[in-house]
Amino acid sequence: MTQAMKPVPDGAMRRPVPAAAIDFARLPRQRVPRLVLSPRRILSDVLMRGWIESAIPFLAFLVVVLTILATTDGFFASSNLMTMAQYLPDGGIVVLALLIVVAAGGIDLSVGSNFAMTAFAALFAFHILELPVWAVLPVSVLIGALVGVLNGTLAGLLGCGALLTTLGTMITVRGLYTLASQSQLVAISSSARMDDTWDYIGFDRFAGLPVGFWAFALVAVTVFFMYRQSRFGWHLLAVGGNRKAARNGGIGVKRTVFMAYVLAGALVGLSGFLYAARQNSVGSDTGIGMEFFLLTALVLGLGGFTPGRGAVVSVIIGFLTIYFLNNAMINAGFRGDFVQFTQGMIILLILAIDVRFKKNLNRLVASSYLDPVARKPEPVQGTDALMPDRIVPKLAEAKILAAGKIDGPEDVILDSAGNLYCGTRDGRIMKLAAPDHREVTVLVKIGGRPLGLAFDADGALLTCVAGMGLVRVAMDGTHDLLTDQTTRSLFSVQDDTTIRMADDLDVAPDGVIYFSDATKRYDMENWAMDLLEGRPNGRLLSYDPKTGRTRTVCDNLLFPNGVCLAHDRRHLLVASTWDCSVLAFDLQNLKAGPRVLVSGLPGYPDNINRASDGGYWLALAGMRNPVIDLAMTHPGLRRRMTRRVPPTNWLFGNLNIGGVLKLDGTGRVRDAYWDRPDGPLYMITSMREHQGALYLGGVTNDKIGRLDLPGADPAWTGPGSYAGQGT
Amino acid sequence: MADSTTLFAGLRDRNRLLETVVFAVTLALVAIFSLTVDGFAARGNLSVILSNSASLCILSCGMAVVIISRGLDLSIVAVMVAGATTYATCVQAGLGGGMALVVTALVITVVGAINAWLIAFAELPAMLATLASAMVVTGLFRFAILQGEFLILLQKSNPAVQILTSDILPGVPVTTVAMMAALAATWVLLNRTIAGEVIYAMGDNFLAARLSGLPVRPVTILIYVWAALMAMVAGLLVSSASGAVDFRTVTNGTLLFDVILVVVLGGIPLRGGRGGLRNIILGVALIAVLRNGMTLMNVTTQMQDVIKGVVLLIAVAVENFLNPRDIETDTVGDL
Repeated sequence: MTQAMKPVPDGAMRRPVPAAAIDFARLPRQRVPRLVLSPRRILSDVLMRGWIESAIPFLAFLVVVLTILATTDGFFASSNLMTMAQYLPDGGIVVLALLIVVAAGGIDLSVGSNFAMTAFAALFAFHILELPVWAVLPVSVLIGALVGVLNGTLAGLLGCGALLTTLGTMITVRGLYTLASQSQLVAISSSARMDDTWDYIGFDRFAGLPVGFWAFALVAVTVFFMYRQSRFGWHLLAVGGNRKAARNGGIGVKRTVFMAYVLAGALVGLSGFLYAARQNSVGSDTGIGMEFFLLTALVLGLGGFTPGRGAVVSVIIGFLTIYFLNNAMINAGFRGDFVQFTQGMIILLILAIDVRFKKNLNRLVASSYLDPVARKPEPVQGTDALMPDRIVPKLAEAKILAAGKIDGPEDVILDSAGNLYCGTRDGRIMKLAAPDHREVTVLVKIGGRPLGLAFDADGALLTCVAGMGLVRVAMDGTHDLLTDQTTRSLFSVQDDTTIRMADDLDVAPDGVIYFSDATKRYDMENWAMDLLEGRPNGRLLSYDPKTGRTRTVCDNLLFPNGVCLAHDRRHLLVASTWDCSVLAFDLQNLKAGPRVLVSGLPGYPDNINRASDGGYWLALAGMRNPVIDLAMTHPGLRRRMTRRVPPTNWLFGNLNIGGVLKLDGTGRVRDAYWDRPDGPLYMITSMREHQGALYLGGVTNDKIGRLDLPGADPAWTGPGSYAGQGT
Repeated sequence: MADSTTLFAGLRDRNRLLETVVFAVTLALVAIFSLTVDGFAARGNLSVILSNSASLCILSCGMAVVIISRGLDLSIVAVMVAGATTYATCVQAGLGGGMALVVTALVITVVGAINAWLIAFAELPAMLATLASAMVVTGLFRFAILQGEFLILLQKSNPAVQILTSDILPGVPVTTVAMMAALAATWVLLNRTIAGEVIYAMGDNFLAARLSGLPVRPVTILIYVWAALMAMVAGLLVSSASGAVDFRTVTNGTLLFDVILVVVLGGIPLRGGRGGLRNIILGVALIAVLRNGMTLMNVTTQMQDVIKGVVLLIAVAVENFLNPRDIETDTVGDL
């Protein structure tokens, strides 16, 4: 392959080239990395995960825990933990109640007053009314829910401002509580009623942990699953996210908000009941400042008031952060005022960091996403005499079909009757009817971006649709999605099951469809970024129509593009665009990996298709140049370029000229077809031979070229070749 | 005549219906209290109402400006107490009244500026930033100056304190003058300055104000420093009158609630962009009359709280009835 080639005179095609077989065993191996490890990629992938939203609260929690571990003795000893678990439900349940209201787009300042009120109600029911304990809990919960009904009626059903409404109920309920508790305090504290159940709830343990803690855990799990699984939870989040959208989606917005307040009130009632059972008394300061303490805990976990987010775990983490901090500082003997000061500072700090982090997260992802690597392309070889300045531009003689009627035919294909099919940018498959291809009709509208085309054994059209996957189109215009995901690769931070940019395909003799997913990291609009990155982001996939299973045949290929079954029906040819090479796979031994059939091409190979003489046609979408080749060895340069230079000024391959290479059966470049420098056929991405003519498509072009091939077999058709009638 | 035209304008303009209602309720309360409560209509009671409501009115001037700009300052009472503490410390250290005032004003300006920085530059929601800064300020001043106590005393004999409780003219105490000055300054700020225009623009639509190039950050600093200074003045008046700075004012929250009540009852919506001096005066008048009448009737503080809470709930419901809002077009954070 490295031998210099003599100029091939125009018309060399006339001499039939013997169909030489591919000698797979003697081809050089292509190294395919098993794993692409890059710190920057891992960073950007991690930054794009959903849970990164809670990273700062979680880190803050870790820092607090570690600081406590480092500075105190025995804070996490079991006795202290047990005490904290006993007091946890006071705030823990109420913060979840707050979360329910805040997630629905409201706020509840009355929780502190309500907490005191329900605790008093429980004590009153137990000591004065002497109700049995099983009846005390409903009393407490009902009183709490009643305050919730008031809040919900005003803020939910009537649509008053939640802040003012709950401020009003906060003050009113606090006043009522003070009046009521003052009048009953003596009677309650002098009551001698004892009850085993009451004391069990207040002091005892169940399975080693305080009963109150179990109540908290139960509430937490219930709320968690409410948001994940229940209709009501989903409605809450929808209402919090966008009220208008929720109403238009058929959700009773007002009723949902109302229910949120009632539920929150009932939960506060439960918490007040547990408090009453444990403390057996209430004071004038019960629940004072609770709403603000818990609001900060909530905000710390959520990172601001974010309606429509039911992040139970985050909120509990935020609450525990403040709870631990508070306890540790008081245990360490700091005065209350100092604790208050420090806590305020820490909350401000965490919030400020979190707000900044969330604000800049997108920018951080954008600046770290492109992850270029040094790549030394193999020097151009074997085609010196075929370059555009050395030979006649044969494509200048091509006729132009359907000019302006189609937009971006990445691939073209002809059926045995001579009808031509191509995909377009707006997601259609067009049919150009035989024999003169003047009549352009829409075969089907799929959506996405149809790229590669192939016929299966039944004569249906298979197409790779970027952004969708593999689609089968019947000739009556119906279409169905064959597959859009493959198995997940073992070490990937981001889920890479989805086929992102299905590019080209071919069908093996056993019916299995082999197709390329050109890049897992960029969408169709940004395919050019993949060249600047220069990493092996693509993969070769297979789909077996018999089992319906999709497999990853070979991962980590460098922009695998055109796929073609070799004439010998045993090998699969895959063009590797950024590597400027064509790889060969042995279908009987796919595990052996790819070997290099031809490398050092002068341009970027796109689709590859069979030729009538036992060779192959290879489309060049663009041409290499020394500047981009040099830039490929300098990843830092490309990274800076994409960040500081507008895209129109980026260094890139030359996409203004393209051509078709003729390979022989062993992969040697035998001839080249170029258009004039100002010709209409640029950036050629596909070509098909059909009955002595070559049809050319271009992904950014609006026309199809037709070039007569003197000397080619005038009876040869692609479908015939696959059916075994041809060469 | 001016009043009656305002009244009729109020009837025509739905936005001002609540004001009209509040005005009518205030007049009705005055009439009822005058007839039923002994000593309400007495000559001395007017000056009592005036001097008792002065600090509330001054605080409301600060809060109103913040709320018109669509902010919220929950630290206003904490700052008020912090200012009084600083003043008391300076006076105890032997500084003269003028010097002590300058030092206090400097300290309070810094506190207000920090609040504003958190909101304008760190971009925390105003409610959270001021909630946390209230914790920080209270904690810091109690820790550093009061050594954990609740109270700091101001000797009433000290000339620097005496001057705040004296009469400027016979029958016109400093308190009343300070209230008038605060009202006048607020009117000038809102109606006669560029900053005032920006404040209304921010309240109307913050993003639009920012996008059109208005200096929202400097004005935010001005707003919160303004609120802090108003709080300081109120704090000096209250503590010099009572002879002590009491940190429990912060923790029991009643004063903060009263201030918000004044602003909201006066007809300044929490979503900002509307309202002015008239609203502050209306709100203060209602609350002052209510407080005074209830105190004369020997209603307990708790009962007063309940009544004020119910009044707020009714006001919220009435305002919503008169001026229904479209909750669907509320953006995130409109509470």
